[in-house]
This record gives sequence, C-alpha cells and structure tokens, in this order.
Amino acid sequence: MSEVAASHPPLETLLRDVKPNSGHLLKALHLVKEAYGYIPPESVPVVARKLGLTPAAVFGCISFYSELPTTPPPKVEVSWCSGPACRLSGGDEIRRIFEAVLGVPMEGATPDGRVGLHVAQCDGSCCAAPMVWINGRVHGPLTLADAVRIARGLRDGTFEVREEWGHGELR
Amino acid sequence: MASFAELQAAAREQWTAWVNPPRPQLRVGLTTCGKAAGALDTYAALNEAIVEQAAGVDLVRTACLGLCYSEPNVTVVFPDGTAVLHGPVRPANVPDLLQAIRGGRPLERLAVAALSGATTEIEPVDSLDIWKIQVRRLMERCGLQDPESIDHYLATGGYEGLVRALGMKAEEIIQETLDSGLWGRGGAAFPTGRKWDFLRTARGEPKFLVCNADEGDPGAFVNRTLMEGDPHGIIEGMIIAARATGAIRGYIYIRDEYPLDVYRMERAVEQARERGLLGENILGSGTSLDLVVVRGAGSYLCGEETGLISSIQDSRGMPRIRPPFPAQSGLFHKPTNVNNVESYANVPLILRHGVAWYREQGTQRNAGTKMFSLSGRLQRVCVVEVPFGFNTLELLNVAGGGPLPGHQFKGLQSGGPLGGLLPASEISIPLEPEPYRERDVLMGSGGLIALDDTNCIVDLCQWVEWFAEDESCSRCTTCRIGTQRLVEILRRFQSGEGRVSDLERIPLLADTLRWSNCVHGQAAPTAVRNALRYFREELLDHIQRKRCEAGVCRGLIRFEVSPAHARDREVEGAAAACPVDAFRQSEQGWRIDQAACIRCGVCHEVAHEGVRKLAAFPETLPAGTAATPPGQVAAAAGR
Ligand SMILES: Cc1cc2nc3c(=O)[nH]c(=O)nc-3n(C[C@H](O)[C@H](O)[C@H](O)COP(=O)(O)O)c2cc1C
Ligand code: FES
Repeated sequence: MSEVAASHPPLETLLRDVKPNSGHLLKALHLVKEAYGYIPPESVPVVARKLGLTPAAVFGCISFYSELPTTPPPKVEVSWCSGPACRLSGGDEIRRIFEAVLGVPMEGATPDGRVGLHVAQCDGSCCAAPMVWINGRVHGPLTLADAVRIARGLRDGTFEVREEWGHGELR
Repeated sequence: MASFAELQAAAREQWTAWVNPPRPQLRVGLTTCGKAAGALDTYAALNEAIVEQAAGVDLVRTACLGLCYSEPNVTVVFPDGTAVLHGPVRPANVPDLLQAIRGGRPLERLAVAALSGATTEIEPVDSLDIWKIQVRRLMERCGLQDPESIDHYLATGGYEGLVRALGMKAEEIIQETLDSGLWGRGGAAFPTGRKWDFLRTARGEPKFLVCNADEGDPGAFVNRTLMEGDPHGIIEGMIIAARATGAIRGYIYIRDEYPLDVYRMERAVEQARERGLLGENILGSGTSLDLVVVRGAGSYLCGEETGLISSIQDSRGMPRIRPPFPAQSGLFHKPTNVNNVESYANVPLILRHGVAWYREQGTQRNAGTKMFSLSGRLQRVCVVEVPFGFNTLELLNVAGGGPLPGHQFKGLQSGGPLGGLLPASEISIPLEPEPYRERDVLMGSGGLIALDDTNCIVDLCQWVEWFAEDESCSRCTTCRIGTQRLVEILRRFQSGEGRVSDLERIPLLADTLRWSNCVHGQAAPTAVRNALRYFREELLDHIQRKRCEAGVCRGLIRFEVSPAHARDREVEGAAAACPVDAFRQSEQGWRIDQAACIRCGVCHEVAHEGVRKLAAFPETLPAGTAATPPGQVAAAAGR
C-alpha cells in the first residue's frame, strides 16, 4: 500500500465485517470512501479479495456510480445541482459561471487541486433553488451575481468555506 | 421481551412529556430541506443562546411539515400544550424568539400557524389554505414528532396495524390490501396485493422484501419526507408485508444523496429491533423479519427494480429483461418483492383503520391519498398529501401559491424527467394516473415541477435527454445511442442549427427507443414527444425563425449594452460582474465582446435597463409564419 495506508486504518481492519455473497460491496466501498475520502485504486484488489470478486468486477461497479471517485477529492468541492427546479431558475447559467471563473469544466479541479466542480443530483432541497453545495453545505437561492461572487471568492481563496454538520452531532 | 401493551404504555409517557413539556420546548425541523434553508445554523444559534442565557427551555428535533417554503421551522411548545410553528427563523431572530418565550408567548412576527392549542392572535394551522386541502394520513406525524423516537410513533397508534396483522392469516392480509385498492406508488401503479400474492405463492426460500427508497426522480422528494419524518411507518409496512408473504429478510435501498435518511432509517431499524418488533418471532407471532439498510452510490437506474437488485448483490446496477420477475427470481435469485417507500407506508393505515376507512378518500378507481412534492416556478416549494382526484392546477395554485408574481404557468413536468410535459392548458386535470396517461404523460411518483413563461421547452427537453443519456446504463444500443441522438438534435435547435427534417427524426427515434430493455430507454423520449404534440410552434420557432422567445437557449440570444445607457453606473456594475470580462470600454462607453460572452446573463440581471437581451439572429420570417415543413409534420404545423 502506498502512503495513503499510513494515515488511515488498514483496509483489513476497515473491511473486517465484509463477506462474500452477502451484498456487501456497496457497504465496503462506502467504508473505504469514508475513511479515505475516495476509493484509492490500491484498495480495489483488497475489496475484491474480501468479497470473492475479481478486481475488474469491483472496478466495473465503481465506474458505474457517480459518487465513488477514484481520485482524491479537491479541498473544496462545489457540487452543482443538475436538477429541474434549479435548471428552471438559472441553474445552467450558474454552471457556466463557475466553470468560467474557475477555469475548469465539470468534474475537473483547479491545477493546484484546491477547488473542484462536481455534477450533483437534486435531493429535494428545491426551496433553495438554484443552488450549489460547497463541501456539503447548501448555498442558495443564488442570483447570478451571487454565483459570480462565490466563484471568484473560491478562486481567490477569500471565500470562507464552512463545513456542514454531521447528522450525529446534534444531540 | 415486553408485551405490546407495555411498549405502548411506556411510549405514552414519553409522548405526554413531548406534547405537554414541563418547560417550553423548541422543536427545530431538521431535514434535508430544512438544512438547505439553514436549519442547522438556527439550531446552533438557539443552542448557544439557550446555554448562555440559561433560558430554561429545551431544544429538540423534529422533521418537516411539508411547508418547505417556511423553513427553517421552529415549533415552540408551551407547557399547556399550545404549539406554534415559526418560520423562517434565522440566527438573527433567535434573541427575539427567546425573549418572547420568556414572556410566555410565541413570536407573532414569525408565527406561521398554531399547530395545537388556542391562541387568539395566531390562526390555527387548519385554517391555512395549504392545510385545508390536505388529507394527512401518511404525513400525519411528519413535523409533529421526533422522527428518531420509536416511542412517539408507538404512542400515536404506530404498530397497531401490525398487531392486527399478526392475528391474521397471510391470505387475509393480502385480501385486505387488494380490497383497499392500494397500488404501487413508485411509478408503475401495479396493485400491491397482487404483487404480494405472487411472492406468497412463489417457490423458493428464503423470500426477500425490498423497499425502493432510491427516489431518483429529480424534483421528487416525497419518500424523503417520509423517511426523515416518520420512518417507522415504512418499517411497519414491511413487517406486515413479511407476514403476508413469508419473507424473512428485507433490504431498504436508499439513494446516496439521502445520507440523513440512511441515518434515520438505520436508527429506526435498531429501535424496532430493540423493542422486539424486528427479528425472530415478532411479538410471539411466528413471523420473523430482519431489515438491512443499503446506501446507493449515485445512479438513477438503481431505482428500476431489477437494477436495484443487481446493485444490492455486488454488481453494476444494470436493469435486466423481465421475466423472470423479481417474485420468481430476484435478490440472490430468490423470490423477491419490491415496493416503493410510500406503498409500504400505506399498509399500516389500511390494517389499522380498515378498508372502508381507507377508501373514504380518493376516487372509485384510485382509493386513498398521494403525496406530492411541488417545486419549480411557483411561489411555495412544499410537500403535500391530497386524495386522488384532486385537481392538479388547483394544487399548484393553492399549495404552491400559484405562479411567481408577474408570470404565468406555461406547463408542468411530472413523474420525473421521463414522465413528460403538459402545457398549462392541459393541467386542470385530476391527480390520477389515467388522465395523465390519456395525455401521454406519467403522473408518477409525486414530483410536480411547474414551468412558467421564463422557461424554454426546448431547453427543458434537452435537460431531460441529457439526464436520460447521462443515467443510461448503456446496455441497449437503442437507449445509449437514442438518447445521445436526441441530445444532439435538441442542442442543434438551441444553437440555431436546427433542421426541419429533425421534426420527423424525433418520432422515429422515439419509436426506436421503445425497443429498449427497460422503461428508462422506453420512456426517455416522452418529453420530446409531448413537446412535438403540445409545443410544436415553440420548436418551429427555434428551428425556422431561430428564436427562443423565453430567451433561454444560449445560441439564440445575445446581450448588448443599450447605447443610451452605455455610460451608466449600472452598466459599469454589469461589467464588473461579468465572469469572463467580456465588457470593453471606449469613448462611446461600454460594449460587450460577443466572442468572449458566455451568455450567462449576469449583466442583464445587474443592469436590467442598461443591458438588453436580444435575439442572436436577425428576423427572417415574421412570427407565426414558419414555412411548412415537409411530410407528416405539415398537417399539424398549420395549427
Ligand atoms: C428508470 C427507472 C427508475 C425508477 N426509479 C424508481 C425509484 O426511484 N423509486 C421507486 O420506488 N421506483 C422506481 N422505479 C419503479 C420500479 O422499477 C418499481 O416499479 C417500483 O419500485 C415498484 O414498487 P411499487 O409497486 O410499490 O411502485 C423506477 C423505474 C425505472 C424504469
Ligand atoms: S432541483 Fe436543485 S435542489 Fe431540487
């Protein structure tokens, strides 16, 4: 294993409860993603062995889903809502603004790997349409001018990114 | 293990303390939509202020009442049981709110309605238009209980339907489900009781249940509202289904985009297990069921039942040809029943209240109620529950608050991207599958998205086909290539390169797509087909006049600084806002470099007077006189 292994729980420990023929693949991949932030390609053979699958089969599954990235996530991920309510109120214009200001296309990241753009699906937060999630936190409803301001702030490093709370934290 | 009566008695104590708290209680609506509106910030601000001021109030969690437009919601409950819903409550409102509560009163300025108890100044919730039209059965508890407490569910009649079912034979439960008229809410509208009977009589052990909580249709969030607001209703429905079918294991497959739902459903499963309502020999009845929550990873096709099954069993979520149907060979090649979240959630109501009660609502053909999520171009984004047969337009006007000020409805997109489009002239129809089907659209699982005069039908169709293409599993060539071709054709329309012959190509493609393996490909062209039928003029405008009257399609519009305003302050602001620095300054003032412009329209938003949105192409044909296209298109084009 490469340097990723050093700072994270070893895969064997992480995947302790994962068993073959039990429908555990998605669970295993979520465990890996949660620990590493993405699915390191080196983890694929381990997951495959645990599940009694070939690495090719596991890789085929990973590539089927849009939320299992195989490269480290950018420090700041702008997830653009591709849903209808957002689209009908200027969502596509907002996409173009982010792409133009940051100089990267969807699913790309700035050369320093700091800010990336991701196509996301509607989760029914349409009361905030049109919007984007920045590291999980909803920003919306956005005017086009808001989008320009946020995109520039992200580009220049002046936008304060606030992480969203987890679900278990409120008790 | 405690008896059911003991469980209920313990639960009622908890409930009493919830509805008549010893000291004022602040319930924050914490759901995905609430979070989007900033409920976590409100929660944090309240928490801080309460600790700091030793305010003598309790801060707790509830879910969404469906009034998403008024979130973040805070319900203030006083010891006498008076509960007042407030919203939107922002962190800045916290001092005022707490001060009012200290005075023993709600904060009138932010009060939406009184949920219980009498206050003279604040109207009761059932006097709100959006409430009056509803029949809240599935949503009865949403936003009124702590969704993470099984006791609240148990204290309010929860699991009573199960107890009755456990005293019945499988056939009797199935008969009642059939008599109720319940059909699947996931889109296909197949009778639930029949499906259960397939599983009951299927050969092969063990048998499985699957709850389809993939809710992949963008703009649909009714399943989410239930999972985040009343998760035990779904679990109870699944246990009853287990009793009726002999299934012993169930999977709840939740889409990746709903982490809060994964969390709440997992907690609910744990709590039910702790109380002996899940596991071996439930309440001594001989029925056993265990449930597993599976989280998806971002794929629309995993909502299709065979795709979902593949996804659970360690492979790509690709749908396969049916038959065999899941009841014959499903999960791990064993007999399996797949139902939608809302379908399962209806079952406890039927068993608890009986068929006659259930059929009191709805129509002869479609009994009961249905949840709908309203979004798009209307005043209020919300989730409501109405009886089948309720008028669609009335729902958009009353619950949705009607079109945005100064605009008119142009149409409706229902049933997910593949469900299709209706023009405004056709939407005064009952909310039932049949009237929709007659118009070649799908009522679907509950998403209703309003369009107005600022929306372009070609752009919406392009979005639909982009979605269909992006989410196609690519197994069938018809679907993979067919959707790509539709996107290409629609993009041509949007860039002024449309061909009249394309109008004949679309029905041809739609016809080819019908031969796809699964409904994804088959239904992919629905919206485009609807557009040809209902919005032909708008398509022809794009092709022949190269006009997008709504001003959306980027290849057909351009932005120009109005010469009279070229030196205005406002235009300077627009220039500063331009994300690609396309504004050029000269002696005459500002102008826009058209080659650099990406047509995002921020300049027009900032300087409404100073920057005008114009057609990109000169007028070649007067409006409404599009040349007659060839072939079969000719007859209809004259309309
Ligand atoms: C492309 C596609 C996506 C689907 N997505 C969903 C979904 O997200 N949720 C759902 O309940 N059903 C969905 N369905 C329908 C399911 O295949 C299936 O009919 C349904 O889950 C059966 O449950 P019901 O009888 O309770 O409606 C989808 C179907 C297709 C073709
Ligand atoms: S369309 Fe963007 S949140 Fe629903």
